[in-house]
Amino acid sequence: MAVDITLLFRASVKTVKTRNKALGVAVGGGVEGSRDELFRRSPRPKDDFSSRAREVISHIGKLRDFLLEHRKNYINAYSHVMSEYGRMTDTERDQIDQDAQTFMRTCSEAIQQLRTQAHKGIHSQQVKEHRTAVLDFTEDYLKRVCKLYSEQRAIRVKRVVDKKRLSKLEPEPNTKTRESMSSEKVSQSPSKDPEEKPVPEEYPEKVPVEAQPELGSWGDGKGEDELSPEEIQMFEQENQRLIGEMNSLFDEVRQIEGKVVEITRLQEIFTEKVLQQEAEIDNIHQLVVGATENIKEGNEDIREAIKNNAGFRVWVLFFLVMCSFSLLFLDCRKNAVSRSSGQMTCAPCGFLCA
Amino acid sequence: MVGAKMAGAAAASIRERQTVALKRMLNFNVPHVKNSTGEPVWKVLIYDRFGQDIISPLLSVKELRDMGITLHLLLHSDRDPIPDVPAVYFIMPTEENIDRICQDLRNQLYESYYLNFISAISRSKLEDIANAALAASAVTQVAKVFDQYLNFITLEDDMFVLCNQNKELVSYRAINRPDITDTEMETVMDTIVDSLFCFFVTLGAVPIIRCSRGTAAEMVAVKLDKKLRENLRDARNSLFTGDTLGAGQFSFQRPLLVLIDRNIDLATPLHHTWTYQALVHDVLDFHLNRVNLEESSGMENSPAGARPKRKNKKSYDLTPVDKFWQKHKGSPFPEVAESVQQELESYRAQEDEVKRLKSIMGLEGEDEGAISMLSDNTAKLTSAVSSLPELLEKKRLIDLHTNVATAVLEHIKARKLDVYFEYEEKIMSKTTLDKSLLDIISDPDAGTPEDKMRLFLIYYISAQQAPSEADLEQYKKALTDAGCNLNPLQYIKQWKAFAKMASAPTSYGNTTTKPMGLLSRVMNTGSQFVMEGVKNLVLKQQNLPVTRILDNLMEMKSNPETDDYRYFDPKMLRGNDSSVPRNKNPFQEAIVFVVGGGNYIEYQNLVDYIKGKQGKHILYGCSELFNATQFIKQLSQLGQK
Repeated sequence: MAVDITLLFRASVKTVKTRNKALGVAVGGGVEGSRDELFRRSPRPKDDFSSRAREVISHIGKLRDFLLEHRKNYINAYSHVMSEYGRMTDTERDQIDQDAQTFMRTCSEAIQQLRTQAHKGIHSQQVKEHRTAVLDFTEDYLKRVCKLYSEQRAIRVKRVVDKKRLSKLEPEPNTKTRESMSSEKVSQSPSKDPEEKPVPEEYPEKVPVEAQPELGSWGDGKGEDELSPEEIQMFEQENQRLIGEMNSLFDEVRQIEGKVVEITRLQEIFTEKVLQQEAEIDNIHQLVVGATENIKEGNEDIREAIKNNAGFRVWVLFFLVMCSFSLLFLDCRKNAVSRSSGQMTCAPCGFLCA
Repeated sequence: MVGAKMAGAAAASIRERQTVALKRMLNFNVPHVKNSTGEPVWKVLIYDRFGQDIISPLLSVKELRDMGITLHLLLHSDRDPIPDVPAVYFIMPTEENIDRICQDLRNQLYESYYLNFISAISRSKLEDIANAALAASAVTQVAKVFDQYLNFITLEDDMFVLCNQNKELVSYRAINRPDITDTEMETVMDTIVDSLFCFFVTLGAVPIIRCSRGTAAEMVAVKLDKKLRENLRDARNSLFTGDTLGAGQFSFQRPLLVLIDRNIDLATPLHHTWTYQALVHDVLDFHLNRVNLEESSGMENSPAGARPKRKNKKSYDLTPVDKFWQKHKGSPFPEVAESVQQELESYRAQEDEVKRLKSIMGLEGEDEGAISMLSDNTAKLTSAVSSLPELLEKKRLIDLHTNVATAVLEHIKARKLDVYFEYEEKIMSKTTLDKSLLDIISDPDAGTPEDKMRLFLIYYISAQQAPSEADLEQYKKALTDAGCNLNPLQYIKQWKAFAKMASAPTSYGNTTTKPMGLLSRVMNTGSQFVMEGVKNLVLKQQNLPVTRILDNLMEMKSNPETDDYRYFDPKMLRGNDSSVPRNKNPFQEAIVFVVGGGNYIEYQNLVDYIKGKQGKHILYGCSELFNATQFIKQLSQLGQK
């Protein structure tokens, strides 16, 4: 339980002020304290970065409000029973989608820009950290608002897909049910979603068309009254069979629907993970490239060093051999000079010193 | 307030209360509401070492981020000006801190300042800040000033410690020094009472206080009673009214505060232990819920480049989120080892599941006709992928506990701690000893000299009459041969003499330990922790003296030990301190506070005790938390004088 002593603090400020006045101490302000503060406020370096960040946040806030405002209408589609105020046409919805997307794109671009600019001209580690964190918060906020948008979009897309799929299923059962009683079809349709209202609407149209030839056939078959109970039974059996088939198809459709939804979710998760790894893989790629280059250079350096080493050795050997030869030569010459009176040959370099 | 919504006892999770208070403070002292589409507000958190100790067990860096904190810095570090950002300060109102704040104000480091003082700030210091603010023309920048009353550190849901930074000041040694002056004692008592007061403000309840006579605990009780009474009288500023007290008032029950002095029981801090949390505290470097392990990189041949072998330091946080820790922190060590094994196996099974799915999915791509299998596996795959983060977290925890438990096990094996534990249990329960004390002390490879000292001290403390001079000389010689320092013994002798005068020696209850012997050893060899030679000891419930005292007081049992405890009730109009408790009903909540230091063994004992009782809560607190090593150091310092 914390105690708010702000008022106490302000009271102390007043006490100190009066005390200082009484003591006649100029406290770098005194009477002009308040004015000084005002003056001090404006020349204070208004931080460009944070004001821009705040702008971006207010934009995102506007987007969020916009989405929330129209959310109810957006989602409450398809109910024909709704009053005129609630209805939203598809074009309006598309418009909203597009606007939201462009908005989100501009916001994320602005954040990227801020990120590149954030680290320019700042030498303090703490300020850099702070700015990075601020940008992270802003991005997170944007993501949350985008989630709002994508949720309602997902609902809308799902409905459209459902509708399409159901309308596709319609021709098949129609051919099979030509011989069945219309009443059973009509009784089944109210059990399905109200979305399928357009679909069953077509059955009653077709059935009266069928009913007439059937009436005709019945009218002709009055002489076959004993067979008609059997026919009725057969028809009933067929009805049962068809109902069973219809139900199983329906169930399968439901299952597939569920699977597809799960697959989409998985896809989302995977894409997220892959995107995350992209940055890391880029990093690793750079490091590897750098490493290979370093190794290449290192190899070359080693080769050169070996060559130099070898060359050096060769020179040293050559020098030594030359030295030894010159020593021998000199020695010979000495010997030859010392024996100039006597014989002119010396053993090792025989014919050389003539 | 979230606190009021907690059903039942006012003593429910002190940790949650403190966390809520901290979060509120970080949210500019406005109650924190989680809003998923709220705008981010960023701020900077400045704390001093006290604040750091308080915040670190409760909030992780990630949680701080979630609250919008971009930077968290120490008060006395070099801080650069960060324009246009509000700063939240969480500091103690000491002279240096106040000076530093004034400096910050003068340097105009931040845009606005929210000052939160851990305990109440005095009027004069407030005026100092006001002075500096005026000088820097920054009065409007100081947005809010608060007294947070959070001057204690919560380590567990029901355990708190008074301080970590200046524990020298309130240590056992400081309180029991023979050369302590009155003023110094006053300071120490004031510090303790201040923290206890903050604790009760956060708890939102006024307790009934009981303490023993003639000890430091009594002094604390008198001062605390006075402080609470003054605060309650002051109807305008009373901290105990308001809706945080709602829950406490409805329960009609006030908690019982039992103030105990460390001198009642000196054997427990020296005791070798066998439960997980207490072992980690005893053997490894563990404080503020953080374990620091040193892992030496193995005995590799150093390459020709001859780099010195580096020891990796690793630190782990043992937090309430860690389910394994919560479940097993009080279990005996062999159980912990087995559970880690089990967790590891279940984790491996789950991992295999996921891998199997992967191979099935690999087959899927080639075989068109197996689409029916796909439908079943998609669901499995989804559940596997969504459970992947959980699996990774589980793996991390298992690794953590494997490392910690292995480190502990190494220590146990090296020092033969199980032998000590068994022996001490036997000493403390006064059953017959099968091995003579002298043998163990002279045994060269059973434990460090410190372990032997501990064993001997426990023997000395719990012996009914002191051993004869000749025996004592023998022991002393054996101890010095083993390399022990004999100073603690000096002190214990003095203490024993004093304690004998004061009251009857306390007994430690009956306990038996059953070494499970060969059969369990065979069973255990299958496990990764091959605990050969480490006996699988089974702890039987025993009540330490602290638990017994609490039991008597809580259940209003009559017992010569606790009958003459003093009774304080700050809410009573007349400040008489009769020993007759007005309230005859047993208490539902109790807070045990040990003046002079506590440890995890007592805490575990209390937890076990209260587990058996329905609907009762106990909080355990101490002025400082030490393990046996630190306690021996203090005793030897005391013995040197």
